[in-house]
Amino acid sequence: MSSEPTRRRGATGPFGGDLLTQLFQHPLDPGYAEAARRRARSGASEPGVARRALSLVVVTLIGFLGAVAYRQTLAEAPAAAQAREELIEDIQRAEQRVDALAEEAERLRGEVNDLRDRVLAAEGESDEVERLRILEAATGLVRVEGPGLIVTLTDAETPRDPVTGEPLEENLGRVLDRDLQEIVNALWAAGAEAIAVNGQRLSAVSTIRTAGEAILVDFRPVSNPYEVQAIGGPQLETRFLTSGTAERFRAYHDQFGMGFQARTVDELSLPAASDPVLRHARPVISQSSSAAPPTGSATPHPSVSGGSR
Amino acid sequence: MIAIVALVLGIALGAVLEFSVPLALQPYLPIAVVAALDALFGGCRAYLDGIFDDKQFVISFVFNVLVAALIVFLGDQLGVGGQLSTGVVVVLGVRIFGNVAAIRRHFFRA
Repeated sequence: MSSEPTRRRGATGPFGGDLLTQLFQHPLDPGYAEAARRRARSGASEPGVARRALSLVVVTLIGFLGAVAYRQTLAEAPAAAQAREELIEDIQRAEQRVDALAEEAERLRGEVNDLRDRVLAAEGESDEVERLRILEAATGLVRVEGPGLIVTLTDAETPRDPVTGEPLEENLGRVLDRDLQEIVNALWAAGAEAIAVNGQRLSAVSTIRTAGEAILVDFRPVSNPYEVQAIGGPQLETRFLTSGTAERFRAYHDQFGMGFQARTVDELSLPAASDPVLRHARPVISQSSSAAPPTGSATPHPSVSGGSR
Repeated sequence: MIAIVALVLGIALGAVLEFSVPLALQPYLPIAVVAALDALFGGCRAYLDGIFDDKQFVISFVFNVLVAALIVFLGDQLGVGGQLSTGVVVVLGVRIFGNVAAIRRHFFRA
């Protein structure tokens, strides 16, 4: 406790000289001492009730302020994490909904096809039924199966500092969207008839691109390891493995450690691709009820998805 | 004694009432709390010293909070909000420590 005289406003004032020293020596507002002296001089005794009440209001206010600030801080800290969690939940829920709807769509499409096939067959148009089925399979509108090739790409191990565990340099052996695009294009070129990346069937309008760290196939994220499944004839493997693309990926494997494998399988089953959304194109419906020759194709995008990607 | 009751009442009010601070005022809240604590401990010490004055207490509280808010506001406008806030916290923190030390000496004579 500092003694009375040092607190009196001297020539330098309470904050004269070294500010911090003054601050340390006189933490109490000098106004209190002055008020006390004034009171002693004028002989006033107890302060009025109103003043006392005002003090109590201020004390209440301080408590209120502290409590509000505490709650505010509590509410704010997890807010960001909470928002993030909720967004992730939203995404997962939406993805589940998409899956369910896609399943429903596939089931309904199967029903529609069955009915259509029956009608066409009753009208003696079995050639037309066959043609439609092949077109649907080629455009990715229905589930297809057959023998094929599975190409697996895996990210290389990130080189790490053995002591700190920090990544040493940029991982050049990481699989990029361009790598997947090249593999898929090479497979189309090698004669694949249907391709899926990690179970995500590709259609003529599918996209493979990077968003942030993830690779999106038709806006659905796919992750390491990447499995490109392609249905094609027996020569698919040799044609793919002798292509320049396969050559390059073998070099990536040797140089950067990117995993690259291809194996033939006897039976592959690829799901239907997500429905292409048409915003501007409208199907041209042929006038004659008996579906006329090729001109009246109701499929707006390139009929066979050959090497057109 | 009544002051402690008032303080507890204020804390209870703040905890019970779903009072949310307007977004525009949120940056000032932490500084306002530090300023209010300074006024509180100053008043406490003055009371123990026997020189408590209601007018001084009320005015020191109001001005502490206003000046602290003003400094933060100015700092935000000048782009040095963080540094000025730190300055305010250091100055008020030193005062709080000093006053609390005096209060401690009052109670424990040490």
